[in-house]
Amino acid sequence: MTRSRSVAVIVAAVAAVAVLAPAAPASAHAQLLSSVPAAGAALPEAPSVVTLRFSEDLNPEFTTVVLSNAAQQRIPAAPPVVAAATATVSVDGPLTAGAYTVAYRVVSKDGHTVQGSYGFTVGPPPSAAAAPSAVAAVSNDSGGIPAGLLISLAVLGAALIAAAAYFATSGRRPKRT
Amino acid sequence: MTSRRRLLAGGAAVAGLGVAGGAAVAATTGRDAPAPVAAAVALTTGTATVPFHGPRQAGIAEDPPAHASFVAFTLPAGADRRALARMMRLLTDDARRLTQGVPALGDTDATLAVLPARLTVTFGFGPGLYRAAGLEPPVTDLPTFKIDRLERRWSGGDLLLQICADDPLTVAHTQRMLIKDTRPFASVRWVQQGFRRSPGVQAPEHTQRNVLGQMDGTANPRGAEIEPAVWNQDGSTQLVVRRIRAEIETWDILAVADKENAVGRRLESGAPLSGTQERDEPDFAKLDASGLPAMPDFSHVTRARVTDPAMKILRRPYNYDGAPNAAGHPDSGLIFASYQRDIAQQYVPIQQRLADKDLLNEWITPIGSAVFAVPPGCDEDGWIGEQVLA
Amino acid sequence: MRNLRTLAAMALAGALTTFGLAGCGGSDSASGGTPAPATSSSAATLTIKDPWVKAGPAGEMTAAFGTLVNDTGADVTITAAESPASPLELHEMTMKDGKMVMQPKEGGFVIKANGTHELAPGGDHLMLMKPAKAIEPGDEVTFTLKLADGSTVPFTAIAKPFVGAQESYDPGHMGSMAP
Repeated sequence: MTRSRSVAVIVAAVAAVAVLAPAAPASAHAQLLSSVPAAGAALPEAPSVVTLRFSEDLNPEFTTVVLSNAAQQRIPAAPPVVAAATATVSVDGPLTAGAYTVAYRVVSKDGHTVQGSYGFTVGPPPSAAAAPSAVAAVSNDSGGIPAGLLISLAVLGAALIAAAAYFATSGRRPKRT
Repeated sequence: MTSRRRLLAGGAAVAGLGVAGGAAVAATTGRDAPAPVAAAVALTTGTATVPFHGPRQAGIAEDPPAHASFVAFTLPAGADRRALARMMRLLTDDARRLTQGVPALGDTDATLAVLPARLTVTFGFGPGLYRAAGLEPPVTDLPTFKIDRLERRWSGGDLLLQICADDPLTVAHTQRMLIKDTRPFASVRWVQQGFRRSPGVQAPEHTQRNVLGQMDGTANPRGAEIEPAVWNQDGSTQLVVRRIRAEIETWDILAVADKENAVGRRLESGAPLSGTQERDEPDFAKLDASGLPAMPDFSHVTRARVTDPAMKILRRPYNYDGAPNAAGHPDSGLIFASYQRDIAQQYVPIQQRLADKDLLNEWITPIGSAVFAVPPGCDEDGWIGEQVLA
Repeated sequence: MRNLRTLAAMALAGALTTFGLAGCGGSDSASGGTPAPATSSSAATLTIKDPWVKAGPAGEMTAAFGTLVNDTGADVTITAAESPASPLELHEMTMKDGKMVMQPKEGGFVIKANGTHELAPGGDHLMLMKPAKAIEPGDEVTFTLKLADGSTVPFTAIAKPFVGAQESYDPGHMGSMAP
């Protein structure tokens, strides 16, 4: 439930970036552009690293990437290695089958904290249903949400985020003096 | 202020007699405050004293008064131990009188001395004073931290006077008298004046806010916890004074959540981001619903954390707020003052961690730095520094 | 502080009330001091509260101040004063031809019964006519007051840098900030 919502938000955020990018190329905030594993990925094999790519270079001092399992327990991992806009976390031990959450907290150049999370699964999907899309593959244990609904949510979310971003940035314009 | 408040309260009461509804409105908006503060209550602020004599200097473990002036001096080349002893005898005599509401000898404005308002005068000796006396300094200048942008005009000092009182005129007069008696021996190097909440504004146990709106001092040792952190066996301690400029213009543009991530506490309540109450112990292992550590790795609280009671420091900071520039940008920040047994053991590791990583560094800049050994207190027949200089 | 202790020694029994009358807080450290053996031959007839001397270079006139306290029922007259630091005179400030000038006090200082007498910059003072060596700020200088009845009152004063009341006193030499 929480995870599917956060996945939806991530998808929405990515969509929002795509939508906003041409209009606002100089966005003030770091945004997650892509990741490996991808948001919602169902991986037959456990990954040993998680890599996140952002829209601007990261400050290694202020970059947090945490991997946790379905029980919300932190998976032991080295601190992220930051190279330009990419943060890579090496997992200490092999991941067992199950659902995982990647959570990140980075600081934009302007000092704003940007944080978010997404999920992926390792091992055979709990339900045998075929995965028609990456988004649908994140179906949770309680049976999953139709992909169409998720996509609708994503589009709605993107619109909301775009609107929020617009107001946020316009509200932060230099004050009249 | 009191009379004005009384006027307002009185006005509300009169209105209430005529129009019951009006009084009710006043009450709900809080303008019809509780009973006016009686004049007698306010007067105790002015006459309150802090004992000067004792094995430890005053002005350290007590709740900080509302106003402070930190005055640092430079000794001339050739200053010697005998001259320093004479200086400290004079300054001790001034301090023991003024702190008790008695004019200094030869006080040219004796009428200003009668309201001490919890006046304390605390003496610190910089490394240069020990060298002038031919002694090994117990304190050394701090290492250079990468975040430092130190300015000479706020740094160093051979002698420090920390003058604190609940009234700024008392501080001003005391500063004037003490500087007059120091002039034959040393020149004024810098003066930093700061303030906290005024007496009666907040209960003393409330944590104060700094100019960035943050609760400042929640993690301070209190009561018996002060003992292992601050006092050496002989009654001495050590003081760090740093001038920390607040970059309020850029801080202003942050959202509340951004500010809270930088500090690691809720702005409103002061609670750690892992808890709900100000005094909750931060839980650095706790993950929030999204899987992130509730206490950001890079937050000020996370980085400054000390658990060993003997390794804590006693922060006794004052805000400063100078005149804004023509563009209206403030000149504000914190006169960071911390007392600890041993600067190198206690303060430096904390500051090194903060310099290495602390998101709050984006909005604060150290522009001044000084260290002082704080000698023990003295009794009626002694003088501050006697153990060092006699 | 030694001068305070001396004070306490001289003050003896009457000291507490005297300090109270003089407006010095009851918490004054002198009140808690253990009296040292009395050094004054005149017992507790006269004390001096808060004595201090203006620091200055060798050979240049300077002055000592304080509050003389008479806690007896009879007037006390100080006829002279001595110090190892310098020859001394009892001086007063007085108006002459529209100007304040300093001159020796005829007949000495008279402290009324149960009264006080202020020695202060711009007023009566003990004049150090020619200090043998510099009186440095923070130095402690000993004095002896001689009373009309032949008894003496010793005290110790701390040296302070002082630039107040300059216009009426020792013009040309005040304001020297040399340590």
